[in-house]
Order: sequence, then C-alpha cells, then structure tokens
Amino acid sequence: MPKMKSLLPLAILPLTAIGLTVFADPLPPDATYRPLPTQPFSDVKRMDEAQKPDVMKRQQALFNQRYDMSNRPLPGVMMSGGRKPVQGGVRVKLPAGMTWERLANMSPDEIRQRNLFPEGFKPLPHVKQSTGGQVFPTNQIAEIDRLEQRDLRRFDVDFDLPDHLTPEFPPPIFLTTHPELGDVSRGQVLSFRNYYEIMNGIITPVQMEGLRLLLTPFPQEEFNQTEDRKVAAPSLGVACLDCHTNFHSNAAFHLTPDVRPQSARFRLDTVSLRGMFNQQIHGSKRSLRSVEDFTEFEQRTAYFNGDHVSATRKGVNLPDRPNQVAMMAQMQNIIDFPPAPKLDSAGRLRADKATQQELAGEKVFFGKGRCAECHVPQTSFLDNNMHDLKLERFYRVGEVANDQVVIPDGPIKTFTLRGLKDSPPYLHDGRLPTVADTVEFFNLVLGLKLNQQEKEALTAYLLTL
Amino acid sequence: MNVKTIAVVVGLFAAGPLFAQQGNPAGMMPGNVEAKPGTPAPGQYNPQDRLFIQLAGMGNLGEADAGRLADTKASHPSVKAFARRMVADHSSTNAKLADIAKQRNLSLPGEPQPDQKAVKTHLETLNGLAFDQAYLRAQLIDHQKTVQLLEWEISNGQDAPLQRLAVDTLPTVVEHLRMVQALLAETTGAPPQGLAASQDGAPPPR
Ligand code: HEC
Ligand code: HEC
Repeated sequence: MPKMKSLLPLAILPLTAIGLTVFADPLPPDATYRPLPTQPFSDVKRMDEAQKPDVMKRQQALFNQRYDMSNRPLPGVMMSGGRKPVQGGVRVKLPAGMTWERLANMSPDEIRQRNLFPEGFKPLPHVKQSTGGQVFPTNQIAEIDRLEQRDLRRFDVDFDLPDHLTPEFPPPIFLTTHPELGDVSRGQVLSFRNYYEIMNGIITPVQMEGLRLLLTPFPQEEFNQTEDRKVAAPSLGVACLDCHTNFHSNAAFHLTPDVRPQSARFRLDTVSLRGMFNQQIHGSKRSLRSVEDFTEFEQRTAYFNGDHVSATRKGVNLPDRPNQVAMMAQMQNIIDFPPAPKLDSAGRLRADKATQQELAGEKVFFGKGRCAECHVPQTSFLDNNMHDLKLERFYRVGEVANDQVVIPDGPIKTFTLRGLKDSPPYLHDGRLPTVADTVEFFNLVLGLKLNQQEKEALTAYLLTL
Repeated sequence: MNVKTIAVVVGLFAAGPLFAQQGNPAGMMPGNVEAKPGTPAPGQYNPQDRLFIQLAGMGNLGEADAGRLADTKASHPSVKAFARRMVADHSSTNAKLADIAKQRNLSLPGEPQPDQKAVKTHLETLNGLAFDQAYLRAQLIDHQKTVQLLEWEISNGQDAPLQRLAVDTLPTVVEHLRMVQALLAETTGAPPQGLAASQDGAPPPR
C-alpha cells in the first residue's frame, strides 16, 4: 500500500483509499500492548511503597466524596450464611441541596449540563488505575496465607472497600446435586489444603478434579516472578477461587481486559459463579458463549488483562480443553443460587409467604419499574442479553477521576438478581454499595419516576430474591 | 502525622480527589530525580511524555491549519464555525504545551503530522459539500486519535503538568468529537453516531 500511495497523485484517490494509506500514522507504540518495565524490581518496589499512603488516601477521599460509607445494617436482614448483615439505605450522595425526587424530574440533558449527576453513579476507578491488576480483600489474603502460606498482598495498594460493604466471608456453598444438604462449606474457605476433605463423597471424581484445578495457583500479571510483579517475593500465582471464594465473590477487583488504553479501562467487581448453569453469555463485555469458553480464556483475561503477549512472558497456563476445561466447567455448573424460600419455581413471589410490601414491590418490578423486561424471573432474572443503559446522557465524557478517564460503559450483560443481597457492591464495577442504591439508580436512568413508597417496596422485593 | 504528610493531604483535598496522578513506577524514567520517594521532581519526564509533546504538538498545528482552510472553503455555516473553534482551541492548547516544553528545554515540532499534511493537500482540491464532508471525515479520525493520545498520556506519562494538561484538554476534545459527529449527520443525512447519538448537547455553533 505505501508504494501505491507514492505512485498515484493523492487528489485522484477516493477518500476510502486515503483512509487506508494516509491515516496509517501510528499512535504511540505502547498504547495497546503492556509496556515492559524500565526499572529494576527493587526501585519499583521502593517507589510503589512510598506512593502507597497517598494512593490509599486519594481513593478514600473519592469514596467519601461519593458515598456514605458508614456501617448501617438493615435490622433483621442477613446474608445467606447468616454471617453478615445486609447494609441499608441509599449511600450515593446527592449534589448539595438536591433531592432524589427533584433530580428524577430533570431531563438527562439538564442533569449533564448542570453537572448534577451523582458522582457515585459514575464509573468507579481502580484504587490505582495506572497500574490496575488484581486486588484481594484483607480477609482473603489472611486466609490464603494461613492455609497455603501463599502471599496475595500487594506492596503498591491495599483493598479499598470497608469489610461491611462486601459479601460475607466465607460465603456458603449450595450444590444443585445436593439440595438437601444446604451449605456444604463447613464455614471454611475452600483451598488447595482442605478441598478434598470438605468435598469427598459429595462430588464426582470429574468435579473433584475440576475443583483441584480451580484451586491451583498459576502465574498472574501482578503475582509472578518478573520485575513488574507487585508482590514482594516471587509468587506462586493466583487461583480462580482466590476471587470467586467458595464459588461466590469476595469483592476482589481488577480492570476489564476488554478496553484500551489503560486509563479508559473500567473496574470489574468479581461476579458470583452461583447459578451460572442457567446463564448463556459470560463476562460483562466479552459475551463468551459458554462456561467452558470463559474458563479456558480467564487465564489470559482476568489473569493477564487480555494481553496474551504479557501472559507468555510471565508464564501462562493454558488448560487443556477436552479434559481440564470440561472438568472445571462441570464443577462450576453444580453451584446453586442461595435459597429464596419466598419464590416459586418460576421465580414469582408466593402470596402465602411474602409480605404485602414485597408483593407491592413485585408489582412495581413488572409494571411501572419495567425491571422484568430485562430481568426475567422465569430465566433466573436474566434475559441473556447485553443492554446499553446510555448513562453518558447524564454526564460529561472524558472527565478524569483518580486517573480513570470516564468513557461510556456501552452494552453490558444483564446481571441476575437471584441472591442479590449476598453480593454487594453492585453493577459491573461495584459502584453502588447497597440494594437501595440500585433502585435510585434505575429510577433515574430509566426515567421511571417511582414514588418513595414504590421505591421502598421494590427494595424489599429485591431482598427476597 | 508529620508536617510533610499534612501538606500532602491538604494538597490532595484542595485539588479534589480528581488530581494528584499516581503513576506505575515500573514505567518511570530510570535515574530521574524524585521530589519525595516515588514522586518525580518537577520537570522530570519520561519517553512517553516526550513523545506526547511531539505528537500533540504536530496534531495541534495540523488541526489549526485544516481549520483555517475550512474557515475559508467550507460551504455550511456550522462547519465554518466549527473550523474557527478548532483554530482557537488547538492554538490555545498548543501555547500551553509550548510553555511546558520550554520549561523542560524541549522544543515543539514545527510542522503538522504527515497524514494531516496529506489530507490538507487533498482537501485543497475539493469544494462545496464534498469539501465539508471530507473535512469532517478527516476531523473525525483526527479527534478519535487525539482522544486516544490524551488517554495514553494520562496512563503512561509521569510529568504532572503535562498530564494535567491532558486531563484538562480531554473533555474539550471529546466535545469536539461529538460536534464532528453531529455535523457529519447534518451534512450527510446519516443518523448521528458515537456521542452525538446519546447526547443532544448544546446545538453545534452556527
Ligand atoms: C481478579 C479475580 C478473579 C480471578 C482470579 C478469576 N476471576 Fe473469574 N471473574 C472475575 C471477574 C471480575 C469476572 C467478571 C468479568 C467481566 O464482567 O467481564 C469474572 C467472571 C468469570 C466468569 C463468567 C461469569 C459471568 O457471570 O459472566 C467465569 C466462568 C469465571 N470468571 C471463571 C473463572 C475461572 C475459571 C478462573 C480461574 C481460571 C477465574 N474466574 C479467576 C474475577 C476473577
Ligand atoms: C434495559 C434492561 C434493564 C432494565 C429494564 C433493568 N435492568 Fe437491571 N441491569 C441491567 C443491566 C445491563 C445490568 C448490568 C449493568 C452494569 O453492571 O453496568 C443491570 C444490573 C442490575 C443490578 C445489579 C446487579 C448486580 O449484581 O450487580 C440490579 C440490582 C438491577 N439491575 C436491578 C434492576 C431494577 C430494580 C430494575 C427496574 C427498576 C432494573 N434493574 C431494570 C439491565 C436492565
């Protein structure tokens, strides 16, 4: 092509040809691929450690500006294992002098032009956006250290959410193959050291081998041997269930592998693997079509940010599709949702069990709230589709918060609402701390104009799921 | 808490949580002087910062050149107004960029990017609606690339004033992109795309 360009006078080329030949001028060389480190490990570690207090203070300032982070449990509402209360109240802060009602009566254009969109509804940055990578909560770090003497602590950042705004730990495990047993976790965190004893006699040999692989650590972008690792000693790596603790989530987070450049990548809050047997598309953006596909590729995405070149450098594990991947998937596919005693087999509230308020909430869910158009109760509150909520109608694109450039989210997979109360924080990046926040969010974004009574009923209903 | 940390905290809050970039030191320039451990001293830049100055400097010149051409040749009054805004905005950013570069004893490039020059040569041969559309299509690509370039500097640079300039400029460049998208819809009759599809925004300048 470049040869052709010099032979033909530009003026007679159609514009498409100009597009091909002339706009080939490059963006910077490290805009797509992960740049190689330029400094020795010891220097990087020293500087990272020195930056860390400021990094953490900056993120806490952002949280306090956006949310009420206090510990205010809902009286009498516990997560499924009975270990942690569910937090209540709307936690996203409003701009000074604003009310939710007045805001809901404004048009998206007006909200954007007057800069009134609540900051907590905007994308949530990674604790250190420029580096990104996996960050584990303190309880997981301590458990894995105790059980396996494997270090999941980073020297450049700490986990940024307070414990009361994350899922209970350890979360219970429910199996589709043994509904009669209830929680089979024995109150422990499944790890390489204890899984066999805990699951022996309950699962099949194939599932057991899948579980072993899901608990086997492999090299990961920040946890490996190279000089751009973020763990002090050369690391054994990360296991799948280090984030999906007991097949649920411990709110560990990282950056989406699906977007570049680095500053525009959005945060990803670990999803629960409960009830995944009914889900047809996987990943908030990737829309992979099977649990097998996701399991096979997670080692290049969650592990290596979607950069297979970096993966090769640090030591990638490529599980064998017909054997290992199949077994890992079959283990994941027997993980059930937590029980929801008020729901019938089609996902509808049972009138004999639900309260008047919950039933009123279900009505809103199907009617004025339009929720059931995407969260279809009969199919595990999924529609197996991605939807673009077009949040950018409400805010200025291109603004930067803690080094994250805010771009539109675009289409995101519909999340299930089963077991919702067990899996804070909410949305793909965990930007919403409570269930009540999700109600205010959808009320504004879908332009529903729900009244206070309807919002409270809807919240009560969501807590029964 | 010692005096130094208090100063840092106050500084953070004063600038809002929006600022105080925290780069990955793995990508810092070896041997740079640090103001305090982990923070490059003022004026210390890395190769990315330097490349950014080059690419952004050339880009601004090309934008202003193309804008001046479109101000004289465009047929649609909205396109003319847009072109004048490009001249003003990109010249003003380039002045700020030049200031920062000068403080670091670096010079800005004196010419636009080669692709911008080639497009300008092509645009000079066109007139009327064909000119408007070709100018806007080139502007679309230019602004898409500028958004990427600014985002890249925000991720990979280390020089605070330069990164601040990128942060301050980005929303404006995104707004330019939206305007181009809206104008393309207006002049071609195709439905609006990108941000113009979801943000009605202020009407394009007339
Ligand atoms: C950083 C912690 C982390 C680790 C480690 C991790 N995951 Fe994930 N996992 C996530 C996040 C975050 C998502 C959501 C991804 C998205 O939305 O694109 C996810 C999504 C998934 C999904 C799709 C679920 C859905 O609802 O779409 C599967 C399946 C999965 N992970 C399996 C695995 C397996 C298998 C491993 C080990 C190879 C693993 N994960 C390791 C965090 C992790
Ligand atoms: C147009 C389809 C659509 C409609 C209508 C809709 N949702 Fe959603 N919902 C989504 C999508 C897509 C997501 C994931 C968004 C994201 O993570 O950015 C989601 C996420 C959620 C979540 C977070 C789940 C989690 O685990 O993080 C909750 C809660 C929720 N929706 C509740 C509701 C309620 C309540 C309503 C009605 C008032 C509603 N949704 C209406 C598509 C929809």
